[in-house]
Amino acid sequence: MSLSLLSPLAAALSLLVALPILAHLTRQRPTERLAYGAMLLVQRLVKRLRRRRALKDVLLMALRIAAVLLAVAAAAAPRLSWKGDIPTFEGSGRMVLLLDQSLSMALVDGGSTLLERAKAEASARVRSTPDGARFGVVAFGPSSRALTTEMTDDKNRVLALIADLQPTMGAGDLRGAMLDARRLLAGEKGEVFVFSDEAGPSMIPEAEEEIGRVVALGSAVLPVPIHADPPRNLAVTAAHYGDGIEGGQLTFRVANYGPTTREAPCEVVLPDGQSIPVFVDAPAGGEAEARVTIPRQAASGVGRVTCDDPDLALDDSRWFHLPQVGASRVLIVDGDPGDTPVRSEVYFLERALAPWGGSSNGVVPEVVSPKGLGALDPTTHRLVFLANVADPGPFGARLRDFVRRGGSVVISVGDNITADRYNAALAGLLPSPFRGPESLADRAEEPVPLELPDTSRAPFEPFARGGRGAFTHIGAWRVMTLEPYADSGDVRTLLRFTGGVPALVSRDVGQGHVLVWTSSIDLGWSNLPLQAAFVPLTQRIAGWLGAESDGAVARVEATIGARVEVPLSDGISDVDVRGPDGSAVRATLQSGRAVFTADKPGAYEVRVTDGPRVGWVAVNLDAEESDVRRTKSLASVEAALDPEMFVRHQDLAEAAMGLSMVLLLAGALLAAFTGAAT
Amino acid sequence: MAGPRAIDAVAGWLGRGARETDDRAGAPGPIPWDPIVLARVRHLHFTARVLADRIVLGEHRSRRTGQAVEFADYREYAPGMDPRGLDWKVLARSDRLVVRRYETETELPVTVVLDLSGDLGTGETGVGGLPELTGTKAGYAITLAATMLYWFQRHGEPVGLRLIGGEGARWSDLPPRGGRSHLQLLFLALASVKPGGRAELSRTLTEVGARVRRRSLVTVITDGMEEPANWLPALRSFGRRGTDLRFVHLYDRRELTLDLPEARVLYSPEGGEELPIDAPGVRKDFRAVVEHYLGEVRTGVLAGGGQYIAAPTDAPMERVIRNLVQGGTRPVEMP
Repeated sequence: MSLSLLSPLAAALSLLVALPILAHLTRQRPTERLAYGAMLLVQRLVKRLRRRRALKDVLLMALRIAAVLLAVAAAAAPRLSWKGDIPTFEGSGRMVLLLDQSLSMALVDGGSTLLERAKAEASARVRSTPDGARFGVVAFGPSSRALTTEMTDDKNRVLALIADLQPTMGAGDLRGAMLDARRLLAGEKGEVFVFSDEAGPSMIPEAEEEIGRVVALGSAVLPVPIHADPPRNLAVTAAHYGDGIEGGQLTFRVANYGPTTREAPCEVVLPDGQSIPVFVDAPAGGEAEARVTIPRQAASGVGRVTCDDPDLALDDSRWFHLPQVGASRVLIVDGDPGDTPVRSEVYFLERALAPWGGSSNGVVPEVVSPKGLGALDPTTHRLVFLANVADPGPFGARLRDFVRRGGSVVISVGDNITADRYNAALAGLLPSPFRGPESLADRAEEPVPLELPDTSRAPFEPFARGGRGAFTHIGAWRVMTLEPYADSGDVRTLLRFTGGVPALVSRDVGQGHVLVWTSSIDLGWSNLPLQAAFVPLTQRIAGWLGAESDGAVARVEATIGARVEVPLSDGISDVDVRGPDGSAVRATLQSGRAVFTADKPGAYEVRVTDGPRVGWVAVNLDAEESDVRRTKSLASVEAALDPEMFVRHQDLAEAAMGLSMVLLLAGALLAAFTGAAT
Repeated sequence: MAGPRAIDAVAGWLGRGARETDDRAGAPGPIPWDPIVLARVRHLHFTARVLADRIVLGEHRSRRTGQAVEFADYREYAPGMDPRGLDWKVLARSDRLVVRRYETETELPVTVVLDLSGDLGTGETGVGGLPELTGTKAGYAITLAATMLYWFQRHGEPVGLRLIGGEGARWSDLPPRGGRSHLQLLFLALASVKPGGRAELSRTLTEVGARVRRRSLVTVITDGMEEPANWLPALRSFGRRGTDLRFVHLYDRRELTLDLPEARVLYSPEGGEELPIDAPGVRKDFRAVVEHYLGEVRTGVLAGGGQYIAAPTDAPMERVIRNLVQGGTRPVEMP
């Protein structure tokens, strides 16, 4: 705040302040003398009055001095300047109204949504503007739309456009709106009113440059904040089906953007319609993570988590992919039943995948003989263990198709395996052709141990928290060697024995994966099943490979308003995309992908026209848009760009003169009513 | 102190003519043949007699020690005492010289202490000259004192006068005596005095208190325009000694209401600071000061065992005298 004088020379008049001082000092005294008998009492009276008059006289003089000073100040035309909050309407007669229709504007506050309040404010502004003013209207949600192609003076039309606005499901593109405003102003000055809640961490920072351009043209950006008091919202910001050894659980996060802790009643709805209620305590200004155990058998598809929030309902739900969960997910092909449990791979695999018989986790293996591979169903099974199967030849083509469509195969070797048969039957699946078995150590000696795994790789991520060292206890006496190969984008060596011999090698094929364990899963060639890492590793592999894909169905995550691309298998030339409400969504095929734009949250199903389902798309809101808290205000941005715009001025001359008159009057009244007795 | 010859002289002025000088040692100088003074003496005498006649009172009991039939007490003999009062029987029994003292039933020495300092000269007659005996503070005080003296003298009491301040008086201190000629001397003093000088109440009252007998009547007539805290202690000493004290508080009602039409510079004839006063603007405050002052004086007098008689100059004098000689008190009359 500062004070300046428009007429500084007039300050010289302040010498007039001497007048009341002189008047005070040279007060008129009576001249006529009178002998008085009761002088004792007069002296007492004077003493009594002087105590009171001392204050009154000072006050009287102060009043007169102040009155003179104020009169002098009025002549000097003082002006008070201070920093204001929001610029006021400057009345250029050209107004562009920017209305925020992003998701956060659907927040209910005081019985109406913020957007309704913004519309009311904008309409009132239009009505109160004198006739002849010209308006432009821009609405901005995920994208900006200029509702008027040019400035118009048709108030009724502008009011109708404002009244038709509805909230959208995405973020606010303020930058685009500023660009549209600049286009509407066409290089001329004007006022750009922004009716927005200013919510979200990125909306305003992204628009700063464009705001600067508007201001640089000489126009004013006038924020009209439409705030909820206090800002509050509850939103499901993430939902993910576990794919690790924790597999079988849905993990979701609930964000609370309000000032108080809230208990949110939530519901998890699985693709087959099963509903799981759960309550989540979301801390104020923070997030809560909740886990829900998915039933042992559940259909695959897209599920939904919903947490009720009466303030802003549009972001209460989040959709997630759920793979096929249940007993039929893993198919173990037993190629070597063995005469004792310790000589049977299946024995160990069953116990590793379902230590408690499948009663408390989601994986119950289905064990079949090699002939059982004929029952391999890509829509039911997602992982096949080939455990020391002697001849996969009859099922090679089926396995290849299974993997290309998203299934996974884990191959373990043993005495039954012959390299030629595998190389012939599974060409195109093996990371590298088998060369033949080879001993690493004498059976009487210690097996050759594994090297420590790289826990940044997906199969070993859970072991970053502990248990990584247990891998060095796993060893093998004998392995199936592979023809020389090099790690590439598709082929990766995940584990090696000490000395560099590959132990676990993966290959991506189509949408699926193939893993080759170059030794046995029973105790024939290695000690793997007896080691501590065996069970968690097996669980992890089953969860990782089983959760990533659903047979031949592609699973895609997308954000509302964004371009969605669904990869398709070869030969698909036409697809039918259905939105959350079952309506058809316009999609195109581009480079083997179905491409469309999702404008609603929910589950989108992609099918071959009149054919099978080929993909699921879970479309969600941008979690960032649910954050209704204000991190930066338009006013602060504009204040940084053009500080002068925020400076307010007030001329004080009239007020000073008026106050001077009042003080003079007060002084006169004070003198009149109290008199000057001594 | 006036002797018999001087008294005769005054009596001569009043009735048969007078001698020109008072040849008694230590007496004042030649007595002027001032017809105004003589007229005032006559006027005072007449006024006092008229007023005294209007007062009908019963017998009053005066008390003093002296030679009488009723024994009062013993006192150690000191040189200068009348040896006729020695109690020879006590001398014979105890070899001690003591004097017998007796109580009389009729005589009560009366001393009127009259304040005629400069402040008493204010009022409508202004300052200077002999005051009018009616309508002025000094005249009211003089007339009141004369009436008091006349009334007690007619009842056979010895009367005396002590002037405080005042100018022109031949005698300012006349101790109580009986006799008509002494009364005339007192009247002459009252007739010739005019207000002036400073009161110095405290000093004067202390002097009088030290001299008057324990059983006597002292009447103080004053406007009390000195700080009461200074002179009230001296006044209280009368009460402590058993003296019958009657305090006549004389005031001009117009002065205590600050009845001035416009601003004036006020001053006291006794000196001191001159004060400009806008009377209309401060009358309310002045009333509060007056109330406090009157209460302070009255309370001080009563607390000292004296009797307080308010005497505004516009009050009928008979009523004041009746209160005075009866010893009754009346509520303070507020201006």
